[in-house]
Amino acid sequence: MAIQNDRDFKAALTALEVPQQRALAAQFVRRVQGLSGDPRVLTAVELAARAAFGTVTEAELALAAQAANTARVESFTQCGKETDWTAQAGHFVAKAAVACVRPAAEAAKNTESLAWDAAMQARMARTCQTVAEGSGTDNPEAIEQYRLLEALLNS
Amino acid sequence: MSASLDKGVRVLKEVIDAPIASYFNSCVHCGLCAEACLFYTETGDPKYTPIHKLEPLRRLYEQEYTLLGRAKKALGLSKPVTDAELAEWQELVYNSCTLCGRCSVVCPVGNDIVYMVRKFREGMSASGNAPEGIKGAANRTVTLGSPMGVKLPAVKAQMRHVEDDTGIPIPLDVEGAEYMVMLSSMEIINFPEYLGAIAKIMQQAGKTWTLCSTAFEATNAGMQIGNSDLARVIVSRIVDGAERLKVKTVISPECGHAYTALRWEGANLVGRPFTFEVKHIIEVLGEFQAAGLLKTEGKETDRLTFHDPCQLARRGGVIQQQRSLMNQVAANFVEMPDAGFMNWCCGGGGGASAIEEGEELRLEAFKKKKSQLDAVKPDRLVTACANCRIVLEEGLEHYQMDIPVIGLTEMIAEHIPEQGA
Repeated sequence: MAIQNDRDFKAALTALEVPQQRALAAQFVRRVQGLSGDPRVLTAVELAARAAFGTVTEAELALAAQAANTARVESFTQCGKETDWTAQAGHFVAKAAVACVRPAAEAAKNTESLAWDAAMQARMARTCQTVAEGSGTDNPEAIEQYRLLEALLNS
Repeated sequence: MSASLDKGVRVLKEVIDAPIASYFNSCVHCGLCAEACLFYTETGDPKYTPIHKLEPLRRLYEQEYTLLGRAKKALGLSKPVTDAELAEWQELVYNSCTLCGRCSVVCPVGNDIVYMVRKFREGMSASGNAPEGIKGAANRTVTLGSPMGVKLPAVKAQMRHVEDDTGIPIPLDVEGAEYMVMLSSMEIINFPEYLGAIAKIMQQAGKTWTLCSTAFEATNAGMQIGNSDLARVIVSRIVDGAERLKVKTVISPECGHAYTALRWEGANLVGRPFTFEVKHIIEVLGEFQAAGLLKTEGKETDRLTFHDPCQLARRGGVIQQQRSLMNQVAANFVEMPDAGFMNWCCGGGGGASAIEEGEELRLEAFKKKKSQLDAVKPDRLVTACANCRIVLEEGLEHYQMDIPVIGLTEMIAEHIPEQGA
């Protein structure tokens, strides 16, 4: 199955089981993980990656989500502060990591799938990097995310 | 007297106008303003009594503009305002005042204490006694056009991201559009989903809208630091942009002081009436709702409450619209005590959140919001100000309260059916 656009991408993500979504979301975040040096983010992504093997409990996910959320809150750019777009990229990586490990009960309440949410935040992280580098608005993440999803669907 | 103090005192003398003179003369020292200020109620320290925060200004008024005060000054019996005193007052005029206006509305003689604090800030700013965090924001506004240093390429990058996310084109510099949408730096940097929400809402309502490349930034650092000239420059950019694009309405974003600066003070700052209307996004959504242009599906079923941004509700009088919008998409909406007109500030308005050295005090003051939340125990907290949102998140994190915070405009947009669905 080939993914050509976000409409198909979103629909295919939503159709996945939650553990599969977590594992795929972890792959999305890993592509931008270098933009965050926060160990809480790393822990969350590693846990999400293991989700597809059924070895992760809801309690572990809740703890990881709480820690990653703290990383997200701590990395907000506050009103009036000079923007460091590289640091801001780290904020969106943390936000993507939170999506990866969002507990199932909470994920069920959201209108968007957690994998879609993680994908969007990972793209934002890359967007912030392009702003920091002044390299225009081209963002390769969407195409790379399509490929990762295709690989999963075709496996 | 140093040159900066001399300048500051000169500015302070200039800002003492008829209202300020009458306010000082009218104060009956009742202390009601203290009970209305979360920095006083949460610390119990009398130095945070709002009217006390104006003491150097009051003395200057007395010494310069009253007969008895002049006589005392001539005889060397009055205490002059000094650099050291103004430096000490920085904490009282900036860190511990969010310009929330609660003190003004409880004053039994009608003293607008916020007006006085803002005038006092003019002198503090002129004398170099504004906090570094706010000075930096003001300098970036002058040099870069944005208090947080956001430039057009960053906005374009966010536009591109939102277009990919929503599949809806984001218009830029479209002449003759009905609405010109402003953004706060905070939305560009931290909450790009706000722009996506606007795109979805406008598409469904069938309205034309645009961003403006020369006036995308709504935040008014001039208001926060206490510099009318700077506030005027920022408003003028928006006026120029709106008139160039010939829009009918400029939409102020989910940012409290941006709204006050543009909606309530903008025309006076530039010295002429606007050729367009200014509305807060919540007012616009309220109008769409009333006209049947806001068609949503489904409702949130968890327990939601709403934090009223001070500049929107108390200073701006927008109170019912957000409640009506909440009820459209929330089945279990509960009100906090003192919600609406008398809501308690998040603790970070008026530039306070940009002051690093004020963080400890801010978190202390947040106990007031905590007590409001504890009273209703919501699952999630909704608001309509990007700055409130971050200050709330930090406070909730500090007190380990697991209550996600969301923006009202985004929540509404989440309930709009996808086009073609």
